[in-house]
Amino acid sequence: MEVADVVESNWKAMRMLDVFLKVPEFSVGTTPSEVVYTEDDMRLLHYIPLVKSPYPVPVLIVYALVNRYYILDLQPDKSVVRKLLEDGLDVYIIDWGYPSGVDRYLTIDDYVNGYLDNAIEKVRELSGAEKISLFGVCQGGTFSVMYSALHPEKIRNLATMVTPVDFDTDDGLLHVWAKSLDADKIVDAYGIVPGNLLNTGFLLTDPFRVLIDKYVGLFEKIEGNSDDEEGEQENQETVKNFLRMEKWIFDSPDQAGEAYRQFIKDCYQKNLLIKNEMMLNGKRIDLRNITMPLLNVMGEYDHLVPIAASKPLNDAVASTDKETMVFPTGHIGMFVSGKSQREICPKISSWLRTRSGNDSS
Amino acid sequence: METTDLQASHDFFELWEKAYDATYGRIIDVPVMGPTREGADRLRKNFEATINLHAAWAQSIASFQSAFMEATRRTQEKMEERVAEEGVSPSSYKGYYDLWMETYSETFREFLKSRFFATDLAKLTSNSMDFQKSSRELIEENILRPANLPTRTEIDDLSKEVYLLKKRVKELARELRSSTEK
Repeated sequence: MEVADVVESNWKAMRMLDVFLKVPEFSVGTTPSEVVYTEDDMRLLHYIPLVKSPYPVPVLIVYALVNRYYILDLQPDKSVVRKLLEDGLDVYIIDWGYPSGVDRYLTIDDYVNGYLDNAIEKVRELSGAEKISLFGVCQGGTFSVMYSALHPEKIRNLATMVTPVDFDTDDGLLHVWAKSLDADKIVDAYGIVPGNLLNTGFLLTDPFRVLIDKYVGLFEKIEGNSDDEEGEQENQETVKNFLRMEKWIFDSPDQAGEAYRQFIKDCYQKNLLIKNEMMLNGKRIDLRNITMPLLNVMGEYDHLVPIAASKPLNDAVASTDKETMVFPTGHIGMFVSGKSQREICPKISSWLRTRSGNDSS
Repeated sequence: METTDLQASHDFFELWEKAYDATYGRIIDVPVMGPTREGADRLRKNFEATINLHAAWAQSIASFQSAFMEATRRTQEKMEERVAEEGVSPSSYKGYYDLWMETYSETFREFLKSRFFATDLAKLTSNSMDFQKSSRELIEENILRPANLPTRTEIDDLSKEVYLLKKRVKELARELRSSTEK
């Protein structure tokens, strides 16, 4: 390495530092909303409609307990929520909150037949709609499937995105690892399962890419931009959006122990849901009770919820109006990629809108 | 990836555990007697949990080490192939980095999907939880309780009471609402 190379490297480092020093404040989940219902840690948010007369059938988005709901509204120009609102839909979302020690005994039944059912009741009351659309994402999709099978009379349409229902697959590493985990010991030792423990599992699915290459990519992108004002502006946006994603990835709520125990044992290990053998508080979840229109959306390169885990849902339900959409993207790409905004959201929105009018049945 | 090294390290640790159980492990199992029996027994169990945790940890490290060595070997092999084909090694940092990243990611993907990693992970998690539980019991019984301080177990009991009470209140509120609606 010559002296000129050292000087050049120092300049690059200085420029990088300069970019990080100038990054303005950033926020997530900025689409205007109001809290319309709370219960313990759970909050139900209603997004302020962007059109005068939204479609009469409201959409309730149910996200996973792991990580936070605002991935669907991470940044203003890449927001699933905003896209649905722009298309005239009336959108609600559940924020599960951050469980603490007192929540360790919450079960899946408490989430599905308790919090979710109460949120749905509230949405029905506020909107005046007898039935609503459920849009479940990831584990939130699994809960939505359970709910729709138990309370089909309240659900007009069911849309699921990257939702595992058939856990007996070796396509995703989480499915392979979960089979050998002793959930009883984890829950008995921790009570509330630390979010960081689960996050470590997610990071391990592709450690070099997510712990090294991602950051190298950021620096390369900054380095590639020009030195002028336009380049500086672009760098600030890049870092801001990168930090939004960083915040989301490491904002991992702890998990209610009993719900975690049941999810690992009944779903990942015994695969009861797809066999119509899963029980919630003594009631069997029979997927054949799902007769409402179903949209099942998945990512071709999803390494957390592989297609094999989602696809069987369509064959397990009794709906006649059912559709599968597969997009060439990964798990996170479903929510925040350019493709998400250009292709995925418009298609989901269109599917919902055609089934959200007064006359649709 | 080649599983020979992984199998060898698993065989080694299996042998080590058998040898430990047959020798030092038996000494640890000797029953404790006397007025401090209960406290000493908890210490003994915690020692056993510590040994098991360290053994599982060492086994996991050994497996990771094998995967790292395999990834390094493959990277070197690819470098040599490239030199043979193009006459030069990657001239820039970026060229080498891309090769390294691709090879390491691919090798670790295979390792993380192997039965060896799943077994290591399950064992390490299980032993880690045993250690946590045993340490908690030790601290609660040998330190907190004699000092008349609340323990995690007592707080858990209270949490359960609160959970059940809240559940009951919600059920009653629901019943009241539906009877009022009728």
